[in-house]
Amino acid sequence: MLLQLEGATIFGLATGGIFSLAALGMVLVYRVTGVLNFAHGAMGMFSTFVAWSVIYEWHPLAASGAEAATQWPSILLAVACALLFAVVLGFVVENVIFRWLRGRPQVTKAVVTVGILLVLQAAASLRFGSTQYHDAIHFPGFAGVVHVTRDLAVSYDQILVIVVALALALGMAAFLRFSRFGKAMRAVSDDPVAARLWGIRVNVVGSVSWIVGSLIAAIAGILITPFINFDTVSLTVLIIDALAAALIGGLTSLPLTVLGGFVLGLMESYPKIWIQSPGFSKVVAIAVILAVLLLRTDRNLLRVGATDDG
Amino acid sequence: MGSISELVADRRVRMVGGLLALVVAGILPALSGSIAIRADASFAVIFALGILSVVVLTGYVGQVSLCQATFMGISAYGTAWLVNSGVNYWVAAVVGVILAFGLGVLVGIPALRLRGILLAIVTVGVALSFDVYFFQDDAFAWFNGGGGGWGVDGATLFGLQLDAINPENVLHTYWLLLAVFAVVAILLVNLHDSGSGRRFRAIRDSELAAATMGVNLTKYKLLGFGISAAVAGIGGAFFPVVLGRVSSQPFSFFYSLQFAAFAVLMGVRFVPAAAMAGVFMAFVPELLIRLSGAMHVEISYDYFSIVLGALLVLQLITAPEGVWGDSAARIHHLLHRNKRVVAEPTKVITT
Repeated sequence: MLLQLEGATIFGLATGGIFSLAALGMVLVYRVTGVLNFAHGAMGMFSTFVAWSVIYEWHPLAASGAEAATQWPSILLAVACALLFAVVLGFVVENVIFRWLRGRPQVTKAVVTVGILLVLQAAASLRFGSTQYHDAIHFPGFAGVVHVTRDLAVSYDQILVIVVALALALGMAAFLRFSRFGKAMRAVSDDPVAARLWGIRVNVVGSVSWIVGSLIAAIAGILITPFINFDTVSLTVLIIDALAAALIGGLTSLPLTVLGGFVLGLMESYPKIWIQSPGFSKVVAIAVILAVLLLRTDRNLLRVGATDDG
Repeated sequence: MGSISELVADRRVRMVGGLLALVVAGILPALSGSIAIRADASFAVIFALGILSVVVLTGYVGQVSLCQATFMGISAYGTAWLVNSGVNYWVAAVVGVILAFGLGVLVGIPALRLRGILLAIVTVGVALSFDVYFFQDDAFAWFNGGGGGWGVDGATLFGLQLDAINPENVLHTYWLLLAVFAVVAILLVNLHDSGSGRRFRAIRDSELAAATMGVNLTKYKLLGFGISAAVAGIGGAFFPVVLGRVSSQPFSFFYSLQFAAFAVLMGVRFVPAAAMAGVFMAFVPELLIRLSGAMHVEISYDYFSIVLGALLVLQLITAPEGVWGDSAARIHHLLHRNKRVVAEPTKVITT
């Protein structure tokens, strides 16, 4: 189905919201701990599948999976389980793995996240099946649409994604800017050694960053399920879109990252008016990445690559 | 008499060791009549070439790449496409390798300005866009053969028939691949010690220092990417004849990740480590299938992937030189320590 201009705009904003969310978690973790997390998508994917599993396989509060998928209590329980899992996952990744890699080159840490990606991906493929389509997670009552004009309809799902993305971005930016812990996080991101000398508990800050990053990845994963071919691979490879959005934000700025997410969403969505091809969006993403990296003259961003020589 | 470590360092000893390994590797699959085992042996060599390409790029030149399977893929698709257009297989294979070299140089262009994780991001993008678009989309059906990919009947070399059906011919393919691998490995070891190799290593250790010493960064970085992609491409060019067809699955993003993971795990600076890793990558899945049959439970390939990822994480925390490099260092250390004890007997007696 080829989209019309208005429909493409709405679709682009919704997927853009997802990209923003995914990129937010990535940027937060990168800023505070210096780890560029290639496994970000995989972490979100696994948490999302925890929710899926609770609804469709376990369904404790309903007679069947199909029934559970339409009930608020089941959905909320599933989301709670997924978020709890995300918290544990973020905590474990920081404390079992990255705590031992402090001071190592950024590339080493990035390769470690590749290892984490492989583990999560294979584990999910074992547990949930690798390629077949899974039923999406819908919030009951959110399946309806608002008719803006006669031809143009916006679904509640899409509105929800956009609102959550903006709210989380603003909330996180405000938290980093105004709260005491946010200040500590910024201090650690500027200079971990100096932050430690000032009495900031760097390990706690690191753990919290990973937990929040993992949580946001899970939220993004759960919200995106209605819009994509929901399987283990498509969520994992979402990282390329998240990376593109994160690079637009220079890997540091949260508001710019969110803006980048929406812009990328639109850029990936408009070509769908003319060409029908599921893979083309990744080409747009790599084009954006190249354009940002080669056109940006931001010293700080380019230093990212230069500081890890040693 | 030289010590064992000096013996290992001796070039002639290494040559004999390599030759011995080559002969054993050549004979073993011939002992089994099974096509599957022989084809797996061929895949082991192809994967070893893929991992070898990481050794060149990351181990020699110090550049990160997560799209080596893409280089392999473009060569495999290029070969299969030309063969299906009526071109001789070996001409097509050479064009395939040249295509890979070209794509490698193209990917190297951003690397002129980017290092470390930023370069990794670009290569992830390249790997994914080829994986889901250029290798799969119908817009490129002329190149990727449409939905099912390409079928390739086989090839002949000096009257020798190579294909994926007849056990004899499968073995011929394997021997040819093994010979090609040996040549590539020797060339790469020589490259390491050549003038270009020294410049590569200078770039790896410090780009700034290399540029100060007059190393042409642009030329040697692009060359490094090109050579690495071509090595992967050589593996890719054999893919159609080993498998009998080409589809996108073996060149997916996850294979690129596995190549990188394996290379880092085994030791990213060592050519023999790549050969070992290739054997693991090709035979462990087969082994798991056999084990599943014997134990009447399904043991999925995914377990292998889980173990690989976990080992990679563990290894980067504990032994950053990789399995090969780390054990070499340990053996060296052990021998060295023994020598010292022998050299100072008086101390041992007095205490």
